[in-house]
Amino acid sequence: MKRLAAKKDAKVMNVISDFCRNQQFKRAVAEYRENLYRIAYSWCHNAALADDLVQETLAKALKNSSQLREQQTLRAWLYRILCNCWRDHFRRSRDSVDIDDLVLVESDTPDRRHDRQEIIDRVRNAISRLPMGQRQVISLVDLEECTYIEVAQVLDVPIGTVMSRLSRARKALKEQLLEAEVQESTRLRNLRAVK
Amino acid sequence: MTDPRISDERVNAFVDDELDVVEKNELFDGLRTDGDLSQRICELRQLSELVRHAYDKPPAIEKYRKPEIRRFGAWGRVAASVTLVAVGALLGWFGHKPPQQLASAAPDLRAMYWDEHRAFHNTDFNSVAAQNRPKRVIVHLNTASPEKFEKALATAEQLLNAYRQTGQESEIEVVANASAIRMLRTDYSPYSDRVRQLQDRYFNLTFLACKDAIDQIRDLEGPHSDVSLLPDVDVAPSALEHILERLSEGWLYINV
Repeated sequence: MKRLAAKKDAKVMNVISDFCRNQQFKRAVAEYRENLYRIAYSWCHNAALADDLVQETLAKALKNSSQLREQQTLRAWLYRILCNCWRDHFRRSRDSVDIDDLVLVESDTPDRRHDRQEIIDRVRNAISRLPMGQRQVISLVDLEECTYIEVAQVLDVPIGTVMSRLSRARKALKEQLLEAEVQESTRLRNLRAVK
Repeated sequence: MTDPRISDERVNAFVDDELDVVEKNELFDGLRTDGDLSQRICELRQLSELVRHAYDKPPAIEKYRKPEIRRFGAWGRVAASVTLVAVGALLGWFGHKPPQQLASAAPDLRAMYWDEHRAFHNTDFNSVAAQNRPKRVIVHLNTASPEKFEKALATAEQLLNAYRQTGQESEIEVVANASAIRMLRTDYSPYSDRVRQLQDRYFNLTFLACKDAIDQIRDLEGPHSDVSLLPDVDVAPSALEHILERLSEGWLYINV
């Protein structure tokens, strides 16, 4: 009788501990929701699509929680799932939606736009023009402060590729954002001098 | 004047705190005497700040939420089966090797693409490029012929130029596998300057080397072989898989 009761207790304890583990995992995953959304948005520049991708990522993560070997790699694991969801989406929607045709979400006319918004739009535009591989690397490094090794794991590419993509992405951004700005201010200065 | 040994990758790694102590010390030494280096680092930091600033507050989700939520499950299964079909079809295509004449002039250029009915088409480049589709092109090389590599570079440059002049966004990848890897190897390629020049001129041009092919070269040349690639050349785990992936995403394919 005692033995039966002990067995039953152990079973209950297992159920409780599984439940606790699941809850803990759900909480840990949910903490990354905002970060995942930011990254997804920087890849597709479409709020609704980014949200869909995040929902899909979270659903897959919860479903496949047993595949995560070490808790410390949760972040990279989640980004990798997001990356796969994005790739799947890109593949199936290419006939109806061209990623490069997605217009940045803007609610104001250019005249009314605040300076801050103007800078943001310029940077987002420049990022959206980068090849996808470069866009993914720069967002993971700059927005999420992922290490190069983490990025290599997330995107499944060698670390040298991460470094070269990052270098090229920043070079392109420099040309579009910093050098263009210098040229524009020089042009304005010259115009003023002519007047 | 910046020390030429300090590559862009290394300066980026410094900014991202990815260097070890010795490498960091070298950079700090350089910083003391090198104004250009200091400027480069400042610009990279400024760019990182700009990127963070641009995505600090992405748009609120609810505002743009569509009434219908996409369903991924069933489509995921369809995508997987379609990819399998594509693998088979492309393998067949590679198997019979249709005569491909890549001329530097666009009129004779042949291209392959995968249409919305999930079928492969082998047609002339201009007719398909005229369609309202993304300007993404993959140029594939699998032999170490300098003439073919030259043609591939000329074609890529010609297309990038044409797209730039007409203000169309484009993306081109030059993918090398098998013996074509030689054309992207440091100390072997006669085109290192030309590749560098094109990379500098077009940020939307990427060179990729197949890792399977690199591993095969290592096997052939022995364990101490150093298969180093030209700067900023990416590595794809498998050229074939990469090409299939791109075709499924709607890219045009040109075989040189």
